[in-house]
Amino acid sequence: MRPVPGSAAWLLLHELRLAWYGAMKRGAAGRQAPGAGPVALFALTWLGLHGLGWLLAGEVDGAPTRDPRILLAVSVALLTGVTFMLSGAIKASVLALFERGDLDLLLSSPLPPYSIFTVRLAGVAANTAAVYLFFLAPLAHGALLRGQWHWLAIYPVAIGAAVLCACAAMLLTLGLVRWLGARHTRVVAQLIGVLAGAALLIASQLHAYLGRDGRDWQSLVVMPAPGSLVWLPARAVLGEPWPLLALAALAATVFILTAQRTHRFFAHGLQLAASHGNAGASNKARPAPRPRFGRGLSMTVVVKEWRLIARDPHLVSQVLLQVLYLLPLCFIIFRHDDARLPAIGAGLTLLASSLTGALAWIALSAEDAPDLLRLAPASIRAIRRAKLMAAVMPVLALLGLPLLWLIASSPLPGLIVCLTTLGAVLGAGLIVFWCGRPGLRSDFKGRGKGGFVMNMFELLNTLAWGALAWLLPAVALGQLPDAAGLGAGAALLVAILTLGLAWLTRPRT
Amino acid sequence: MKADLVALRVQGLRKHFGRPAVDGLDLTVQRGELYALLGPNGAGKTTTLRMITGLLAPDAGTIEVLGHDLARAPGAAKMTMAYLPDEPMLYGKLKPYEYLEFVAGLWGLRAEDAAPRAHELLDWLGLRQHAHELTEGFSRGMKQKLALAGALIHAPELLILDEPLTGLDAAAARQVKDLLLSHVAGGGAVILTTHILEVAEQLAQRIGIISHGRLIAEGTLAELRERTQGASLEDVFLQLTKA
Repeated sequence: MRPVPGSAAWLLLHELRLAWYGAMKRGAAGRQAPGAGPVALFALTWLGLHGLGWLLAGEVDGAPTRDPRILLAVSVALLTGVTFMLSGAIKASVLALFERGDLDLLLSSPLPPYSIFTVRLAGVAANTAAVYLFFLAPLAHGALLRGQWHWLAIYPVAIGAAVLCACAAMLLTLGLVRWLGARHTRVVAQLIGVLAGAALLIASQLHAYLGRDGRDWQSLVVMPAPGSLVWLPARAVLGEPWPLLALAALAATVFILTAQRTHRFFAHGLQLAASHGNAGASNKARPAPRPRFGRGLSMTVVVKEWRLIARDPHLVSQVLLQVLYLLPLCFIIFRHDDARLPAIGAGLTLLASSLTGALAWIALSAEDAPDLLRLAPASIRAIRRAKLMAAVMPVLALLGLPLLWLIASSPLPGLIVCLTTLGAVLGAGLIVFWCGRPGLRSDFKGRGKGGFVMNMFELLNTLAWGALAWLLPAVALGQLPDAAGLGAGAALLVAILTLGLAWLTRPRT
Repeated sequence: MKADLVALRVQGLRKHFGRPAVDGLDLTVQRGELYALLGPNGAGKTTTLRMITGLLAPDAGTIEVLGHDLARAPGAAKMTMAYLPDEPMLYGKLKPYEYLEFVAGLWGLRAEDAAPRAHELLDWLGLRQHAHELTEGFSRGMKQKLALAGALIHAPELLILDEPLTGLDAAAARQVKDLLLSHVAGGGAVILTTHILEVAEQLAQRIGIISHGRLIAEGTLAELRERTQGASLEDVFLQLTKA
């Protein structure tokens, strides 16, 4: 039965259809529809997750669900998941409220604003829940095959959490938009996701760090009693009926209250967003800016690239995600363990290569105004060299301190790591310099889809210099036999050949 | 026609994108002249301008800008001209002065020349009060104005403008028209495309009409009217491009 046109159900159907088109478009990587390959891969992944669920259910069968350690682990996992969910829900809210561009049409129609807002809220919740259910539902199905019905609690928990996150996100979004403007709200949403990832990584490393020193991390946490209300969400996840019912009731109540109390603010917030499109850039009188002309071509280009990167928090957060991988290295470094030095060297080299590749792509390939550069009388090669400098300098500055520390603590291996890091940085930069294809900054995450050959070169460069940074210090410290030097020679050959191939296959224009 | 009076000379220009986009185009713009290139959508106007600016390599033909062969001495030719496309070439994350700093750096201007020129241009275009804002928050008209400031910062002799009045309010459009008139009065040259025929009617000394990549008519407004017995440029344009 088709819903009556103009009804809330009809609008919800429209919302879900748009979400489906959006998901398909993402899978299609710019094409009209995803090909058979990606669809088959999705289907196989989904089936594989069922198998994983079946195995997992066998492993945890009969585990004491009232054990505080299990409750704590489930709570931490839930908290992490909810943080990511909230980040996704804020992004979905910004998109649904301010970026899709159809609200003017809807609000000018005879549909009541209350219905429009309620449907938008439900759409955000459905969108948020769908992603998590795609991965989690197969686990529940797999467990069901073993007769473990309580795993079906994943459904109400995921939907309840998504509804709560959608409500919180919608309220937060409307508030943030009022305060910061629609554009900055999106950045805040992305930062919440990055911070959640960082917190997770730090927590995992802290656990390992404390564990090595013989301290029990659980002794640092005051564990509430098993009956405590703190454990209610975890108990809902574990399938206990009353906590599940409480979660469902809470989600429903919050949804109804949000829809009822916020729909007026919703229309008002939209008007504010329209009138404060550039919020944050105040027009208040300020001292006149002091421009610096006459820096010379190279510095002009370098400063421009740094400004563009530094003012794009979304881009910075995505690049800095890679720096998060430094954290485990820091934990190793602070333990003053010489045996770990080759691992540190390899880690630093891998990081240097990966960061340089990312920054070089932004500076060289994701130029916003390529025509302006081609119009200028300056040599394009000189401009591109300056862009390469702009990409390389921050990486060297960032890694300078750990490298100096390495040299001070173990001079010869430290110097070797310095050289491999430098080689990796130059290699990664030159590969993008020669083989990078033009792209958009907004496509940073999907830049790998643009050039398979360049990505292969980048990967080979990273692995070859990483292997060198591992093998050479280990040989120098006597941890590996001299014969390992042959492996290092092979890695060096791969690094040089990769660069040579990148140069040979560069587009000639 | 004296060679030293010629600001732009295009001969036998051709470009194919599967089909001919520009097909043997010849045109000349004098110093002190504003030349309007008109044509229906897809006629080859923008392709022509992009070849003149060196953004697009022609399949055949020569382009000479103020005595510099664009193919042989692109640097010298580019120093003397500026291009303002219909989509402004800006960086959303830069502020107006920073954008002008960058453009001045690309053209190798000295600080003592660029700084006063930047102040003057931003004042004249009414952008000084927006100096602290990122251009991504600018309206279409403000972006167009800033792009114009960038195009003018190196005081070019030949201005190449693709739909320069798009998105400008009446006051800004008037400012730009006055600027173009004073530029040609001072001995500079302008070649522009526009869909607003009144602009060409008001400003241009000569008008060229392009269709399917070929120049099908050229002359002063009076000459074009005489040729077609049209009452207005619109009549002339429609009559010539209908075929």
